[in-house]
Amino acid sequence: MRKIPYQFIEHTADIGIRIKSFSLAGLFKKAGIAISGLSLQRGNQKYREKHKIIIRQKASNVEELFINWLNELLSVSAVESLAFENIQINRINEYFVDAIAIGSDIRNYKINTEIKAATYHQLKVKKNGLIWQAEVIFDV
Amino acid sequence: MKEISGIPLDKIDDYRWSIPRSYKPGMRVPGLIYADEKLLKDIYQDKAMEQVANVAFLPGIVNNSLAMPDIHWGYGFPIGGVAATDIEEEGVISPGGVGFDINCGVRLLKTDLEYDDVKDKIKDLIYRLFSDIPSGVGSEGCIKVSPEEEREILLKGARWAVEKGFGTDDDLEYTEENGAMPGADPQAVSERAMQRGKTQSGTLGSGNHFLEVQIIDQLYDQEACKVLGLNLGQVMVEIHSGSRGLGYQVCEDYSRSMAASLAKYNISVPDRQLACAPLTSVEAKAYLSAMKCAANYAWCNRQCLMHLTRQVFEKIFGSSWQELGMFLIYDVAHNIAKIEKHKVGGKEKNLCVHRKGATRAFGPNHPVLPEKYKKIGQPVIIPGDMGRNSYLLAGTEKAMQETFGSACHGAGRLKSRTAAARSIKPDILLKELESKGIIVKASGRNTLVEEAPSVYKDVNDVVDVMHNAGISKRVCRMRPIGTVKG
Repeated sequence: MRKIPYQFIEHTADIGIRIKSFSLAGLFKKAGIAISGLSLQRGNQKYREKHKIIIRQKASNVEELFINWLNELLSVSAVESLAFENIQINRINEYFVDAIAIGSDIRNYKINTEIKAATYHQLKVKKNGLIWQAEVIFDV
Repeated sequence: MKEISGIPLDKIDDYRWSIPRSYKPGMRVPGLIYADEKLLKDIYQDKAMEQVANVAFLPGIVNNSLAMPDIHWGYGFPIGGVAATDIEEEGVISPGGVGFDINCGVRLLKTDLEYDDVKDKIKDLIYRLFSDIPSGVGSEGCIKVSPEEEREILLKGARWAVEKGFGTDDDLEYTEENGAMPGADPQAVSERAMQRGKTQSGTLGSGNHFLEVQIIDQLYDQEACKVLGLNLGQVMVEIHSGSRGLGYQVCEDYSRSMAASLAKYNISVPDRQLACAPLTSVEAKAYLSAMKCAANYAWCNRQCLMHLTRQVFEKIFGSSWQELGMFLIYDVAHNIAKIEKHKVGGKEKNLCVHRKGATRAFGPNHPVLPEKYKKIGQPVIIPGDMGRNSYLLAGTEKAMQETFGSACHGAGRLKSRTAAARSIKPDILLKELESKGIIVKASGRNTLVEEAPSVYKDVNDVVDVMHNAGISKRVCRMRPIGTVKG
């Protein structure tokens, strides 16, 4: 799995991360892939087949969209037993995202930490100058 | 009055501290924190006290926004928080006040074995428990269910497992709610949640979930121990797990719908994770029906886990679980919301009691308790960390008066997972635990480090506050000899 640049935010019980990108698409992609990076460690690539899953989410604002996006990825990952190593964002604005999540069998990975959900607690998704930045706390 | 991190605190006595309503405009009731001076120093290191004040904004909240001594920073609600809302006073229910792991809880079973019977077999026992009980991220259970059976689980809870032969009616007698809350409606549970739950019955999960073999090392209440059949040196088993992916999805689904309820019902809360709806609303009724389904799933899960545990003991010790005396002491939920009757200002009220990292702790003679426990009060199981102790407590009348019959749920986290990863080496930790006679088998090295004893408060300090404040009383203490971590 590629190294994903994110910083940890200290939280007593859960895991918080800060992500930055020059585009909203980049922000959503990095955050989505971070889920696998946080919860799983790559093991033997025994199960090679890649699976593509279409993910579409809408919301009334960008923060809600961000949480819906992450929780949809977590949910689909659990149901399909896939770790999403790559994400292709097809269309995105602050209210809608259309993407393809590309995953491989979860049996290729060693367990790290189970992420239950992304939360709204202290959530920040905003653009500072040219940079999009998000801070999110996951319940683990 | 003292002020900590900008939050004013009134000292009521050595174990009670109040955050006055004047701290934040919008607080409907004061905050009430159970802690001594020592624990208070830990509590103010994170944002838990701020969250106690935030919970006091919930419409219909009565008496106090409560915090148990194991309180720590959560998301929305603090972990270790209790809040009761009055249905007749536009009281609300908040999925965040229950959490993603709905009916995360713990059960304690006794055995007739003593330390000498297990000391030479503990490694085999723990390794066999680890191999036979699925744990960790994405683990699938050996108990496979059809969609129709899954719906039955949501309605019947632990009874479904008993009907399959995974236990007895006595197990249900000694489970909170007898292992199933009435009023569960599978129609309120999304297809996605059903899919997430399909393969996870009888799985431990990861994170702080565990299965532990323990020895009773201290008796405090001889009368209660006699009723429960507990003695010094007796081998006990504690199981901590919840509703797995099904519960996470139910919370996620309804957190989405409740976010819209805030505007619809003109509710203002300082943290969106406190999203809620009036208990009389369609949104609240649907959530409660779905939450009960997830709670029932969790009770079924812990029943299945106990069944698998009994089977492993049978293999290792060559006797039936009945011959080994492996009977359930009690099973308690510690992430749940329930409609309960409590006295407020001398009048009996129907309240929605949210326990987010808190355990029901009903006092003696409460009508819902099993006959056998009416005299001593409800057993309250308090797991500690894997290197120190766990406790069995009993609920008190004082808890009924002050905390809506609630107590703490564990030791409470002290350090973050990232801080743990920076400072603790898994191999050294394992050796330290082994030198104390504790065998640990974990699915992941990260889990092991993140759950190290030093990241938790000392459960002995936490229980001291509960006992001395009169919220629950000590019955006996256990020490671990082997732990399976998810």
